[in-house]
Amino acid sequence: MTVLGSRSKKSSKLGKAMPAVTKYVVPPLVAIAVILVIWQLIFSGPDANLPGPITVLQETWDPLIIDPFFDYGGTNKGLGLQILASLGRVAIGFSLAAIVGIALGILVGISPFVYRALDPLFQVLRTVPPLAWLPLSLAALQQSDPSAIFVIFITAIWPIIINTTVGVQQIPQDYRNVAKVLRLSGPKFFWKILLPSAVPYIFTGLRIGIGLSWLAIVAAEMLTGGVGIGFFIWDAYNSSRLSEIILALVYVGIVGLILDRLVAFVASKVVPEEQKG
Amino acid sequence: MKVFVEVDHIDQEFSLPNGGTYVALRNIELKIQQGEFISLIGHSGCGKSTLLNIIAGLNRPARGGVLLEGRQVTKPGPDRMVVFQNYSLLPWLTVRENIALAVDEVMSNVPKGERRGIVEHHIDLVGLRHAANKRPGEISGGMKQRVAIARALSIRPKLLLLDEPFGALDALTRSGLQDQLMKICEENHMTCVMVTHDVDEALLLSDRIVMLTNGPESHIGQILEVPFPRPRHRLEVVNHPNYYSLRNEIVYFLNQQKRAKQRKAQQTVAIARNGLEKVNLEIGFVPLTDCAPLVVAKEKGFFEKYGLDQVILSREPSWKVLAEGVATRRLDAAQMTAGMPLAMTLGIGGKAPQPVVTGLVLARNGNSITLSKRFYDEGVRTLADFKAAIARTPDKVHTLGMVHPASMHNLMLRYWLSSVDIDPDLDVSLTVIPPPQMVANLKAGNIDGYCVGEPWNSRAVKEDLGFVIATDLDIWNGHVEKVLGVREDWANQHPETHFALIKALLEACEYCDDRRNREEIVTLLARPEYIGAAPEYIRPGFIDEYARGNDTEPEMLLRYNQFYIDRTNCPYRVEGLWMMTQLARWGITPFPKNWIEILERVQRVDLFGAAARDLDLLDVEPDRGSIHFFDGTVFNPDDPIRYLNSLKFKRNVRIEEVVIDAMPAAV
Repeated sequence: MTVLGSRSKKSSKLGKAMPAVTKYVVPPLVAIAVILVIWQLIFSGPDANLPGPITVLQETWDPLIIDPFFDYGGTNKGLGLQILASLGRVAIGFSLAAIVGIALGILVGISPFVYRALDPLFQVLRTVPPLAWLPLSLAALQQSDPSAIFVIFITAIWPIIINTTVGVQQIPQDYRNVAKVLRLSGPKFFWKILLPSAVPYIFTGLRIGIGLSWLAIVAAEMLTGGVGIGFFIWDAYNSSRLSEIILALVYVGIVGLILDRLVAFVASKVVPEEQKG
Repeated sequence: MKVFVEVDHIDQEFSLPNGGTYVALRNIELKIQQGEFISLIGHSGCGKSTLLNIIAGLNRPARGGVLLEGRQVTKPGPDRMVVFQNYSLLPWLTVRENIALAVDEVMSNVPKGERRGIVEHHIDLVGLRHAANKRPGEISGGMKQRVAIARALSIRPKLLLLDEPFGALDALTRSGLQDQLMKICEENHMTCVMVTHDVDEALLLSDRIVMLTNGPESHIGQILEVPFPRPRHRLEVVNHPNYYSLRNEIVYFLNQQKRAKQRKAQQTVAIARNGLEKVNLEIGFVPLTDCAPLVVAKEKGFFEKYGLDQVILSREPSWKVLAEGVATRRLDAAQMTAGMPLAMTLGIGGKAPQPVVTGLVLARNGNSITLSKRFYDEGVRTLADFKAAIARTPDKVHTLGMVHPASMHNLMLRYWLSSVDIDPDLDVSLTVIPPPQMVANLKAGNIDGYCVGEPWNSRAVKEDLGFVIATDLDIWNGHVEKVLGVREDWANQHPETHFALIKALLEACEYCDDRRNREEIVTLLARPEYIGAAPEYIRPGFIDEYARGNDTEPEMLLRYNQFYIDRTNCPYRVEGLWMMTQLARWGITPFPKNWIEILERVQRVDLFGAAARDLDLLDVEPDRGSIHFFDGTVFNPDDPIRYLNSLKFKRNVRIEEVVIDAMPAAV
């Protein structure tokens, strides 16, 4: 009895003494430190193929790290500007994909006929890797920037369509029955029942879509060139600035995470409380 | 009154994945008046929700249709608003918005301000003012259902359809909402159809309860009228004298359906074993002390001794249901009242003749006539006093209960009343009540007395509700009371089984009349699956002195329950003839010109004799003599028609040839 009592007291004390910051921030920091140390140990030899973390810091400190927004003209710009350029393309491509994808998804979801007609097509197209579209779009659009945006669009649209379709098809029969019994008009059904009911699915699609677009933009820019994080990486590789590549990868990762969380945040504000989970 | 909703011979079918069709509903026909509250009740899967959805227009029937005010229902519409089982509120709208959605859409021609008013009125109606701005996720299940009801009522539907509206709620919330719904419906004169599986809910709310049989091919099994006056109050309804008999009727229906389902699952084909055609018998009985031979045969292994190792005793709620059970082949055999085999063979109450045979008498005597204690307090001690008491209050209808038209209770009660010139149909009113409900009806004042077997007389005596004015020892000592009855075609198909059944029961009867065994039998009978009454109600007359509840001392009546002694078990033809005269006398059956043929076929003395010889017991039929009654009349078996004509009181006596061979040969 006493043992039990003292233990429970101890654990509660421990729980109080450890605030959320230490609980959730310390472990990843420790993990990062360990990885950095291992990385440093492996690549510290004179004939290592890749730079160690210390070398990376030394080589990129000035000006890439301390000034992300320098602009020396051409493609020689700070990483912040490079990423903004890429984000700009993603914004345009993804927005188009969202608008077209949701509209098409609703159409396909409402009409079983359209669903039967288009679904096999979608299933085939969605498996085409993003970069496979690039030559086609370059040939069609003749310009690198719209082509990159098209690749974003075509990459992001499939999960948005498919999830929206499912969302519309999954409107609970109860809500449909209510609409039938009340003889709700078309627009009212759309705004009061269809859309709110499909919103969680739509956001799932958007979240997958934004992740895929960010994956695709880096690859597309490597091929199309110009200002952008993808070409920055490719350029750095061609000039053997390996440290810059590593730094850019860190940036890409962090931005991808932020984008994902941003969509999730918007979803949490838009999706009705009862629809979550 | 004009028909408001007409469900016109609906069939509903669903196609199965294997290409076949499942017939969910078959030939549903129902007419609903305006302002009526109808409940649909049945086991899950019986198609009651399907029927509701068809009325709502959400599903189309395969055949037939629904008319609302003469117009066919083809699609859902707000004139038939549904309250769904899972509320079906839109979770992204507040309580107010949910109701407003319906009002705005349906009443779009009403000015906006007025619509607001309607919404607010209905929020108040269900008492949700404090939660008007909450979303469904923030309120309890009971509150959600109130919103759903408010939403349904707000658009003033002609017909309100409720699909198990309170099924998911706790008991307290449920009863509160039932009261609220009842009040709203009564005030607004709403026409409602409700699907439920709650018997009490159905009784409280409904004017009629429609009971559906199990699917496939579910149809209306029975419609029960609920006569309670409106406005209703929960307590008044529950205390209404008919409440429990109605409730029993529904529960019985549902149990029967459940059993039918189980039977279907078990695939009861006849199990032939031990040299018998069928050993899995279902035998009906009514909870009374004289069901003892059946209980003993089952519990003491007499059935098994003769190879019948899968006998189920089926406790029946009334003699009527038991008779139907035999006629519809649900029961293989049954303990019947003495006149029942003859009456069923002759065709009772206009029904087609159903030949039934009896090869064994199971009990003699055991009945009494009990009158309300009120008469005792008025000084009634004898039948003559009773007659005087009736004469004193000519404008009051005196009602006496008996258990079945073809029971000895009815025949003896009528004979007893007639002996002092009380006409059993004109001077008093006789009504059929199942034995276990007699005491409750006496207590409720629905009846003034009754003739029934034990323990239902002793119970009234012990509870000081009534007193025994006569036992059947006073009227006709040693009369036949209960017999074993089986359909004639069943007996022809299962001769060995029938013979084994008779032998097992004959031996059980002998066991029952050994008074050393009676203590044990009382504990068996008191079990809930048999009589389910306390032993002290069963003991009087069976073991102990019989108390009449009047100023006489309790006395030992050794012949009160007679199971074996004095040639109890022979289905003696003269008694059968007397019963036929009485059945004809009171217009229950015609008197057959071919009475000898009928007697030979129904009263199977030969079967009894063979069984008795097999067991080395006395097998002779009592002498074919006259029967002498307490009032001095003599029944001469050689001239029944003259006897019938000599009786003072009689109804419209039909004497005709009864042909029972028109029925198809044993299938």
